[in-house]
Amino acid sequence: MGHTIAEKILGQHAGGKAVRAGEIVIADVDFAMIHDARAGNALKMIEKLGAKSLPHVKRTALVLDHYSPPPNMEAANTHVEMRAFADKHGSPIYDVGDGICHQVLPEGGHLTCGDLVVGTDTHSTTYGAFNAFGTGVEGTDVSAVMMTGKLWFRVPETIHIELQGALQPGVWAKDVTLSMLGRLGAEGANYRALEYAGSGVAAMAIDDRMTLSNHAAELGAKAALLEADEKTLAWLKAHGAAAPKPVKADADADYTQRIVIDTAKLAPQVARQHRIDDIAAVPDVAGQKIQVALIGTCTNGRLDDIRQAAAILKGRKLAKGVRMIVTPASRAIYLDAMREGLFEILTEAGASVEAAGCGTCVNITGHYISGDGQVVISSANRNFKGRLGNPRSEIWIGSAATVAASALTGVITDARTVAGGDWRAAA
Amino acid sequence: MNIIKGSARVLGDEVSTDIHCSSKYLPGKDTAYIATVAFDQVAPGFAKAFVKGDIIVAGKNFGINSSREQAVHIMHRLGVAGIIAPSFGRQFYRNAINNGMPVVECDTSGITAGDAVELDLAGGRVSVPSRNIARSVPPLPAVVQALLTAGGLIPFLQKHPDWNLKELEA
Repeated sequence: MGHTIAEKILGQHAGGKAVRAGEIVIADVDFAMIHDARAGNALKMIEKLGAKSLPHVKRTALVLDHYSPPPNMEAANTHVEMRAFADKHGSPIYDVGDGICHQVLPEGGHLTCGDLVVGTDTHSTTYGAFNAFGTGVEGTDVSAVMMTGKLWFRVPETIHIELQGALQPGVWAKDVTLSMLGRLGAEGANYRALEYAGSGVAAMAIDDRMTLSNHAAELGAKAALLEADEKTLAWLKAHGAAAPKPVKADADADYTQRIVIDTAKLAPQVARQHRIDDIAAVPDVAGQKIQVALIGTCTNGRLDDIRQAAAILKGRKLAKGVRMIVTPASRAIYLDAMREGLFEILTEAGASVEAAGCGTCVNITGHYISGDGQVVISSANRNFKGRLGNPRSEIWIGSAATVAASALTGVITDARTVAGGDWRAAA
Repeated sequence: MNIIKGSARVLGDEVSTDIHCSSKYLPGKDTAYIATVAFDQVAPGFAKAFVKGDIIVAGKNFGINSSREQAVHIMHRLGVAGIIAPSFGRQFYRNAINNGMPVVECDTSGITAGDAVELDLAGGRVSVPSRNIARSVPPLPAVVQALLTAGGLIPFLQKHPDWNLKELEA
């Protein structure tokens, strides 16, 4: 039996041995990340560890993204501590407005194919889009990495998911993951790694592949790995990443489960209020009224998401009574969107644009709260009751295309039915 | 610490430790306060009636969708001696081991509140003698046992800053 990508990357980092799912390994970690929502705990754990020196601290980035901008004194003070830590130790730091951890790590060239990366965030699976094993950990883990450069891992079993056929215009990686959530349930892949492959993946741009790996966190996945192709290598090179060490799965790799999705025929999907695995095809719920439309987060706040939204809203106005906020995932995306004129289109349509950060996901900054009885359609990744600060409102989850089409009409709308909804094909 | 004996305290399926045993949704409340109300919403009076040395017997996916290791610090404050559940949330399981909390994946059917439970971590056995329950589970891997014996990853690294691989494999 051959090996999966997860087995190979973990084995290569555990002294180059062949390892199997279920084994525990102590592996060399290439890069680590702490964000501001977990920095309070992480900095306490580093102090508790009391290491004489932290030889690997320069390979740990500190990212000020959740409290961006800080909504209270405590958060502002956490930021002061994080800046002081980075100054003292020479760690890379991404400050308020620079962007969300999972966007700025790849953009900053901090990871490459074959790497092992950990971060204090469940969506650290995002790095799998670049053929890196990325997984979420806690403060204790990161303090161990700073001191020793190593961490223990249980090698996960892998589910192989073949995406057959390019997605239709107006259908996105988000819709693939939502359909998977409908099939497996939230946490349905708990503890396992996912490997996405097939012509559906090959056809996707990097932005969409990042959604695929990122959103695997809602399936409970430990990692969500893609093989590298020319698009991956070109993207990494353009962002100054180290020389890639692409890792492919063996043809006879031992998978715990195989799933095939006919992506060519997939319709846009939404998660209905309160449960990320209560999934419906958009045509089946079209007409559901919405009052708030949000585009952003580490799942869908990338340039292609904003381009798609602008293509739908160009020269038009949001439906009466709809409030819309667009929050780019990083400063680099913000600048690109501004230079492409996308913010002018969105602002004229009636949307607002916020500085890059995590606010869209969890209302941590207090800018995104919805009113009683309001229905939110969001490109975020979680929708449990009260996630945006009001348990008496509903959050529905869909792609940026679905959010923009719905903001235009005031009801949940299939982007394939509105002008501009086919942006990706036209571009 | 290879054999742990304690009285069973029962929780249901899919309990989120972020929601029921952390300050994630109670900002500003400290660990000492959360320890007085932990799990009350899913098992009224749980924290108040908890006796140091009790064992949590939970349902499937205990700690689901939960990332905070603070939950384990709170459980230590309560005096939790160990946790058995048919399955655990990924990040919670990792946090438990990193913070010296014994966790055993095992079928928990037939175990009820107050039962005297024995966990044999090295031998891989969960028993409830009064109910004639004796279930085999895979013994915890040596690395995990070493982390638990040390009291968690931080005390482990304080003693073995180079991970002491040879000693562990021996």
